[in-house]
Amino acid sequence: MTNVLPNAETVVVISAFALIYMLALLRKTLQGKFDLYDFLMLSMVAIIPAGFTLFPKLAYLVSHLTGVVFPFVVMFGALFLVVFAFMHNMTARLHRLERQNCALIQEQSLLALELKQAGEGAHRRRCSEQA
Amino acid sequence: MQREKARRLYRKSTCKYSKAGQFGGEADVADRGLGSTDACHDGAAAPRAPASRILLVIPCFNEEASIGGVLDEIAATGCHYHTLVVDDGSSDATAAVASCRSPVARLAQNLGIGGAVQTGIKYAARQDFDFCVQIDGDGQHDPRAIETLLNAYREQPANITIGSRFIAHEGFCSTRMRRAGIRLIVLALNSLFTGGRITDPTSGMRLLDRSAIVFFAKAYPTDFPEPISLAWAMRAGLTVSEVPVEMRARETGVSSIDGLKTAAYMVRVLGYILLARLVRSP
Repeated sequence: MTNVLPNAETVVVISAFALIYMLALLRKTLQGKFDLYDFLMLSMVAIIPAGFTLFPKLAYLVSHLTGVVFPFVVMFGALFLVVFAFMHNMTARLHRLERQNCALIQEQSLLALELKQAGEGAHRRRCSEQA
Repeated sequence: MQREKARRLYRKSTCKYSKAGQFGGEADVADRGLGSTDACHDGAAAPRAPASRILLVIPCFNEEASIGGVLDEIAATGCHYHTLVVDDGSSDATAAVASCRSPVARLAQNLGIGGAVQTGIKYAARQDFDFCVQIDGDGQHDPRAIETLLNAYREQPANITIGSRFIAHEGFCSTRMRRAGIRLIVLALNSLFTGGRITDPTSGMRLLDRSAIVFFAKAYPTDFPEPISLAWAMRAGLTVSEVPVEMRARETGVSSIDGLKTAAYMVRVLGYILLARLVRSP
């Protein structure tokens, strides 16, 4: 296990990135482009590296507990986990939307057809009544 | 020898049930009050006795060259079937050609064969049809064979009756490569599910009764729907039977499954069939 702590420049750069990135995400969330779930999941790209940089002892403890030599490997593992969880939910959401989209298109076409048939039926009835 | 036997049996049953005239034939239509689509619209032709209402669902995608001929052939059978052409977002004049002869449901976007067929099945469920027959709009299916399906249903009712190319082996039976693939799907379906022996799971000519209509109106596969829908249906306890029919090579257009897509098709279909076996019916 190594015990090298991040220097001040690293901490400043990563913290600044995390802050700017999260502010940008927050702005988009307030604009309604993301919901709270998206905000939290996308924030992990900033939160996890910042956490590992700001709390290096915690990072070493986690890497020790997981049996991984370098904390940055654990960090990337955690990031991949978040990305996969996000992708999993996004895929499920996409499929649900696809099904709903398909059902809506079908419904629209059937309603248009039924409306047309009802109109033709009413027209015929009127013609026969007049005759 | 076996092929000849199957052919004789097929002809015998067709003649027998044509004479019996339960579903088809012009005289039969008049007797049973089977209205044409137009008669059905205004409700003018009230049936004297409860008659079987049959809807032919014809999914089409850019079939302007063949759909007119298919509808003419249906009219020429003399059986006043109700028809519904489902235009699956065609960019040509398919809807315009078809609308002269049949009601057309126009999908705003291309949903694929599964989405188009399910639109027709949903229509059949909403309009309370007794039977729904799916036939292709590319002229591969002979509309005269619909009577064969109906007669087969009368003789041995099953929720799904498939028009199979591989019982009598007459007419167009697809390429050798595809037949090999179909054999694999047949093997998977017949060994994993009970509910009927299948020889042609990819046939697009099928008759559905009320139970199957209700079932497929709720859920129908979007990709490669024919074999997967059979797996879903048999998993849910629906029965499947087959009757020999003769098919033709498509008149126009090309198949969407070609080259490398064939391998992808096989993997996905077999995967879905296996998945259908593993998952419980909803």
